[in-house]
Amino acid sequence: MQAYWKRSQRKLAPWLFLAPGLAMFALYVIIPIFQSMAISFYDWDGLGEKIWIGTANYVELIDDDAFYTSLKNNVIWLVLYLLAVPAGLMIAIFLNQTVWGIRAYKSLFFFPFVISQVVVGLMFSWFYAPNFGLFYKLIETVTGDGVAILADERFVTYGIIVAGLWPQIAYVMILYLTGLNNVAPDQVEAARLDGAKGWRMLWYVILPQLRPATFIAVVVTVIGALRSFDLVSIMTNGGPYGSSRVLSFYMYEQALSEYGYRMGYGAAIAVVLFAIMMVFISGFIWKMWRDETER
Amino acid sequence: MAALTLVNVTKSFGKTDVIKGVDLEVQTGEFCVFVGPSGCGKSTLLRMIAGLEDVSSGEVMINGARVNDVAPAKREIAMVFQSYALYPHLTVRDNMGLALKQAGQSKAAVAKSVDHAAAMLALEPLLARRPSELSGGQRQRVAIGRAIVRTPKLFLFDEPLSNLDAALRVATRIEIAKLHRDLDATMIYVTHDQIEAMTLADRIVVLRDGRVEQVGAPMDLYNDPDNTFVAGFIGSPMMNFLHAGALGMRSATMGVRPEHLAISRTAGQIEGTVSHVEKLGGETLVYINTATQGLLTVRLFGEHDYRVDETVQLTPEAARAFHFDAAGLRLR
Amino acid sequence: MFPRPIQQAPRASRIAYQVALPVALLLWLLPLLGVAMTSVRPASDLAQGNYFGMPSYLAFENYADVFRNSPIAHYILNSFKVTIPTVIGCLVLSCMTGFALAIYKFRSNLLVFFLFVAGNFVPFQILMVPVRDLTLSLGLYNSTLGLALFHIAFQTGFCTLFMRNFIKALPFELIEAARVEGVSEVRIFWFIVLPLMRPAIAALSVLIFTFIWNDYFWATVLTTSAETQPVTAGLNSLNGQWVAAWHLVSAGSIIAALPPVVMFFAMQKHFIAGLTLGAVK
Repeated sequence: MQAYWKRSQRKLAPWLFLAPGLAMFALYVIIPIFQSMAISFYDWDGLGEKIWIGTANYVELIDDDAFYTSLKNNVIWLVLYLLAVPAGLMIAIFLNQTVWGIRAYKSLFFFPFVISQVVVGLMFSWFYAPNFGLFYKLIETVTGDGVAILADERFVTYGIIVAGLWPQIAYVMILYLTGLNNVAPDQVEAARLDGAKGWRMLWYVILPQLRPATFIAVVVTVIGALRSFDLVSIMTNGGPYGSSRVLSFYMYEQALSEYGYRMGYGAAIAVVLFAIMMVFISGFIWKMWRDETER
Repeated sequence: MAALTLVNVTKSFGKTDVIKGVDLEVQTGEFCVFVGPSGCGKSTLLRMIAGLEDVSSGEVMINGARVNDVAPAKREIAMVFQSYALYPHLTVRDNMGLALKQAGQSKAAVAKSVDHAAAMLALEPLLARRPSELSGGQRQRVAIGRAIVRTPKLFLFDEPLSNLDAALRVATRIEIAKLHRDLDATMIYVTHDQIEAMTLADRIVVLRDGRVEQVGAPMDLYNDPDNTFVAGFIGSPMMNFLHAGALGMRSATMGVRPEHLAISRTAGQIEGTVSHVEKLGGETLVYINTATQGLLTVRLFGEHDYRVDETVQLTPEAARAFHFDAAGLRLR
Repeated sequence: MFPRPIQQAPRASRIAYQVALPVALLLWLLPLLGVAMTSVRPASDLAQGNYFGMPSYLAFENYADVFRNSPIAHYILNSFKVTIPTVIGCLVLSCMTGFALAIYKFRSNLLVFFLFVAGNFVPFQILMVPVRDLTLSLGLYNSTLGLALFHIAFQTGFCTLFMRNFIKALPFELIEAARVEGVSEVRIFWFIVLPLMRPAIAALSVLIFTFIWNDYFWATVLTTSAETQPVTAGLNSLNGQWVAAWHLVSAGSIIAALPPVVMFFAMQKHFIAGLTLGAVK
């Protein structure tokens, strides 16, 4: 036994080091993904007997208006959330100076990311609050007529996305600040000697060097947009009339809230969301895989 | 007895063969240098001896015992890395004593061994410091000290001087040579610098493309190279290779070292014009463009005045020339 | 440096920049300032419609009220009971997995690595029903331990990515030197690699602390009562009770946000180092 260990130590060691982490990760993450896929073929209230209904949940989904509303909102989230990338870059460029107190400015600009989304949601609810909210007042002064953003089906999703963008821009900003800090100074100087400045400098010299930061920024923003749940739950609870639902929230509503314990139907929604996300995840993994194997 | 024996050793990474069959015997107490251009496989071969790379086929034997499947730790070797590989979080004393401590020696025994090695390398004042507080040369000495402490059967050096500046490199070279005499240990040393190889080695192994080109004492390689590669690699400035046919010889290539090419303003076998002159004080190097033989180098002792574009005549010293066949092999 | 340092710009631009900085910051933090202001505004001001003027006095009693009339102290305690074990658990697991994936070459190495990376990106909802089930069957539903166990497992994905890349950036010759010296694999982990991982451990602890403290979704899925709910879920239920009592909601929000904020300002360097991993090559 001891001789065997001595001989194969370097073969066995990695698996011994991996075992606890991999076991936990498999139990709580990998296996549940497949369990959810299985549950999506059952009718199940979470307690009683599971009844096999085949693809009935998915068939129901095709005719579910609420599902399409959620899907549409997810697309809006995804597109608008990506504004965080250029916005974060702009703020990073604005703050990339060495004047007195700039470190404090950078920290304070980053501040919204540290706060829980629950708190961010409450802050923006107050900001939008009808009759006395700061934003409401502002609109009222400009147009003479206030708008209750969170109670208006036309604006509610955009209102929540703005709240989501606030911390997300802060996150992207810090990624770019670090990236700008590591831009090779000799290349910038060489480009200046060649007469590049302003936008052309940004586009042809700086942005190519910021590519790793841009990649991470896009990854975290896309994942963040598709994961959006907290803000919807806190600010509107999906309302008014379900108009601000996103897939993650609709799934939770179907499976766990007062609307009923339809675990199978919820699982089917989750599988759709998972499939959408897998498109992006596969892309990221493919790029990372290429970088790893090229080395 | 042979301290190290390699029998038809090969190494492949996937489809690329890095070592293509190496046979070698290193005697106990010998200082053996692996030399060759970058990418020739010399470091890989050393790492295979250390056990850091697996052997694809063939046998590695240390003191007569086959060690192919023995972990590096059990091979009783010590290795000095190019980057020194000092543990940044440990003091010099702990860096040097780590192996003995891991082997279960008493604190007093470890301290005694470390003190002894530190004395040999004049490291005593540095024992309490961390690697980040040391200069490059000092780190190098600590890395060597860490190897000495274990009194291994075999010392392995992987380009240990390449991160030092020129002056320090010469000083450390002398120190390593002295260490070899004092310890009477077997050492294998990898370098791409033929001057290091010439000055340190009892025996040089010249490698190219994963094969041994020639093995021998430094002066044997210099005076009696087996092929054009060894002839060109050993010696600086590089040997001139002439088209022997143009000079009425039967061989394909004639090799003449720069100091064996006579230069004259009046008469000679090959005519050319001076393209560049390097005056180094003790010697003068003259580079000459010839119509028939391309660029040739002449090495003269002392100071000489040749001007660029001046026409000169060259004559190879026939008795000191080497002849090679079309494949580059020596004709004896 | 890009953009060109403002010190080299004309005097007018310099002044404009110095003015723009605080103005931009003020606009950026407007929602936060509004809430901070409201948290010290007496209820009477709100009743009289004084939402934006100066508070008639600084009503720190709002904070006292929040603690007196709600279980927020208990919520905060629960948050710590979830967050601290999660940080420790993740670090222990990911130091080992990261070491295994960074140091050893074996055939399925990249496959296992990308399993952790991909798992880290999946939507929570695909895990929700089975994880809730698993927690129920372990008898840990509605307990801080059940919540912490899930967080440990899930965050191990991100932490493994982080640790593996960190160890991979260490000079590999250190490990080879130790191997030649006869140090066993376990001791290489303990005596050589672990001491060098201190910066990574510091960065991950603050990062995971913040992530877990701010988690809301899993708190609502796996805990239900005031005895076990962390402060994010607790705050949401208080928000339901305090309809239109914005001074209390604001004070509660500030209290809930405080621990990660303190953590951030205390360990800013590590926090940002952790967050920007991979943003530079």
